[in-house]
Amino acid sequence: MGEVIHKTVKPLQVNPIKLSQPMGATLAFLGVDGCMPLMHGGQGCTSFTKVYYTRHFCEPIAIQTSAVTDAIAVLDGGDYSIVESVKNICKKVTPSLIGLHTTGLPETKGDDIRGVAAKVDYPLVWVNTPDYEGGLESGWGLACKALIEQLVKKSETTDAAKVVILPHVSMQPIEVEKLKELVSAFGFAVCALPDLSTSLDGHLGEKQSALSSGGIAIEEIRRLADARLVLSIGDSMLKSAVALQEKNSAMHHHHLPHLQGLEATDHLIAILLAESGFKQPGPGIIRWRKRLQDALLDCHFSLGQTKFLVAAEPDQLAGICQALYEAGGKVEAAVSTVDSPQLEKVRAERVLVGDLEDAEALAEHYDLIVGNCHCEALAHRLHKGLVVRGFPNWEQVGNGLKNDVLYEGGAYFLFECANAATAMREHCAGG
Amino acid sequence: MSQKPKIKELLDESACAHNKTRKVACNAPTPGATTGGCAFEGAQISLFPYADAAHLVHGPITCLGSSWETRATRTSWPGRDLTQVGFTTDIGINDVVFSGEQKLAAAIDYIMDKYAPQAVFVYATCVTALIGDDFDQICRQATEKHGVPMVPVHAPGFVGSKNLGSRLGGEAVLRRLIGTCEPDFTTPFDINLIGEYNVTGDMWQYLPLLEELGIRVLSTLSGDGRVADIRCAHRAKLNVLVCAKSLVSLTRKMEKQYGIPSISLSFYGKRDTSKGLLAIAEALGNAELIERTKRLIAREETNLEQRLIPYRKVFAGKKAVLNTGGNKSWSVASALQDLGIEVVATAVGKSTEADREKAREYLGEQGVLMLKPGQEQAGIIDQRGAHLLLAGGRSLYTAIKKGIAFADVNQEKKKSYGGYAGLLNLANDLKNALENPVFKLVARRAPWEK
Repeated sequence: MGEVIHKTVKPLQVNPIKLSQPMGATLAFLGVDGCMPLMHGGQGCTSFTKVYYTRHFCEPIAIQTSAVTDAIAVLDGGDYSIVESVKNICKKVTPSLIGLHTTGLPETKGDDIRGVAAKVDYPLVWVNTPDYEGGLESGWGLACKALIEQLVKKSETTDAAKVVILPHVSMQPIEVEKLKELVSAFGFAVCALPDLSTSLDGHLGEKQSALSSGGIAIEEIRRLADARLVLSIGDSMLKSAVALQEKNSAMHHHHLPHLQGLEATDHLIAILLAESGFKQPGPGIIRWRKRLQDALLDCHFSLGQTKFLVAAEPDQLAGICQALYEAGGKVEAAVSTVDSPQLEKVRAERVLVGDLEDAEALAEHYDLIVGNCHCEALAHRLHKGLVVRGFPNWEQVGNGLKNDVLYEGGAYFLFECANAATAMREHCAGG
Repeated sequence: MSQKPKIKELLDESACAHNKTRKVACNAPTPGATTGGCAFEGAQISLFPYADAAHLVHGPITCLGSSWETRATRTSWPGRDLTQVGFTTDIGINDVVFSGEQKLAAAIDYIMDKYAPQAVFVYATCVTALIGDDFDQICRQATEKHGVPMVPVHAPGFVGSKNLGSRLGGEAVLRRLIGTCEPDFTTPFDINLIGEYNVTGDMWQYLPLLEELGIRVLSTLSGDGRVADIRCAHRAKLNVLVCAKSLVSLTRKMEKQYGIPSISLSFYGKRDTSKGLLAIAEALGNAELIERTKRLIAREETNLEQRLIPYRKVFAGKKAVLNTGGNKSWSVASALQDLGIEVVATAVGKSTEADREKAREYLGEQGVLMLKPGQEQAGIIDQRGAHLLLAGGRSLYTAIKKGIAFADVNQEKKKSYGGYAGLLNLANDLKNALENPVFKLVARRAPWEK
């Protein structure tokens, strides 16, 4: 592991990959069934967020705004905007929950949303997520923690067969589903919080819903504290795991920084074997491990001669870099959206918090980029290969079903990267 | 005196047809029941297409982080396309507490040093407006320091809608750029294109025709635009407002200040493109130019008709329901009619009075003007036996349920449907939609369903 730069010295971001806290919170609330995320701020934050996720998932996105205007910003302490919003939302739909999260505007003027929330006579979870702090991961994490603190009932008993998964924000819907399936295969009943696997997985429903159309049910969230085991995935989820344990101190907690590659998956399987008492996993899992072993060997030649730039949220960054490292891929530069304890663990020559301008400055060091669709222009301009990962991906369809985790997803991910690297070299040689 | 535009004045637009009928600001949003973008987005839409200028968003990360590289506005600027480069001060809590002014000034210096743009547009956002950062002062100092225009854009999201933001964008250009330079030469046929953003290259579908006619586009706001050109915009003979109600304030003020008359038109579809070209020629008032234009229109229409022959059979007898907003409620309808498709209904819920009148004109007495298209469209499809639904993605379910073809009206953000040539793109996409089995196939019952 190489040099880590935790803080940028520039007075601005140029071609940012960083995303905001409220956007992360929105997504977390979309992983709760029948929820209406309510973003407290100007109408634009909500509009941008809605369009952003609609384009990424190719799905309608449920969200509303408290539509704070300049006059209201001066006169109101949040009471009017929030109470009116809840009233107006409930005129049209009946959400199971309203997920109230703030932006920079009400936080700057100091709205007491906790106080307002207490006055609202409707199921509501509130969370402070100013966009001048943190980023996508922390917003998702804070919303998840708020769901736990405000909804989960304390428990003193545990159900030995029950597991709670706390996935980080960059895990796509199918990845959450694959993880749930894997854990179930060890005889556990599994809940994920938040759970995008049944809401934003891109399924054709009976009709178009104005609320989140799937996800973990409110009742399930209330009863999470009787699980014997909690698995947090990604360092951004550690605080949520702690919050859950406070609801039941008898709960076992295992933390996994990410789930990409052979080692990380082996580590998870070892935990599940120990916790379940199983001697070995089911035949499907064993088979996929062999396929991943084979994939590592099949891909090592291409990846072993490839130098990478990886740009992502910290938890995903750690996962991608580990997966590439295992097959000999050389990550020369890993650019993170925000600072995180993960960065010290990232397997890369240089790790920095930065933007795509910083990535461009390091252009001579890499040939293939793994990053979001904003990297397309970069790849084009610098004649680099590109594998699109992370938020947003507006250029491709099927994002919710892209699986990079565990043995199975790990194999697919390596193949995609190895093929892209080979294609890039042929392309460069040819012209 | 403050250089900030008076929002009240902008909301009270005398050139708007509906001004007399509505007393309150058109766009006061309802908490919990609001869709649509904010003023900042409106300003971004109207000004970001200047690819030779840097666009610096002074605010927290949401504003730009979620929105850069979202609009495919094309440019022929030979330098780096700065429209597609995202610049933001990404302010943190310290800036909120102690002011973001230093950071903003440093960011401008950084941009001038590394990117040497022709100008920097500096956008206020809710948080930086609220904490009172002095945009005017910082821009004035930076202009002196760097010798290129620094344009403060006072359109923080919370002052209103996208529409208002576009007006505020126009206002910034009027105050800081227009009239600050003189063109090398002028011609009797110099025009400005206002509100044409060259999304997917729309403008380039008809620009060669204008050039052929000897009409010079002196400047644009802001499709394929140049800062140096818009500074000379006050010398144009005519302002041409393209499909954009929001910038009517700008053209009215330019008429008052510089005596430039304006016309409003659309380049969507065959008839509107022809009408538009002729309207420009007539407004320029040269008999010879008008004759030339008529000849060009005849040639282009014949040419287009030839190329549309293969589509005529496919579209014969086809009926469409159109669910979109604003001026598209009639401009797209017009294009569909040009293709021989009957438009049985169009949505006017979000259209202005003038747009509604136009929609009625195009659809005739039989056509339905839907005020609540979400609720009405399914019934109309049944009653009128429509074959095609053109709408935003949210209406896809309606089409599938009815087993009819669906086309996403927002495709125009990816592909140009403008001018004569663009109509062929539209024809091709609609033909593909009508022929695609998918809309019936996905509604198939599963083997386990009765």
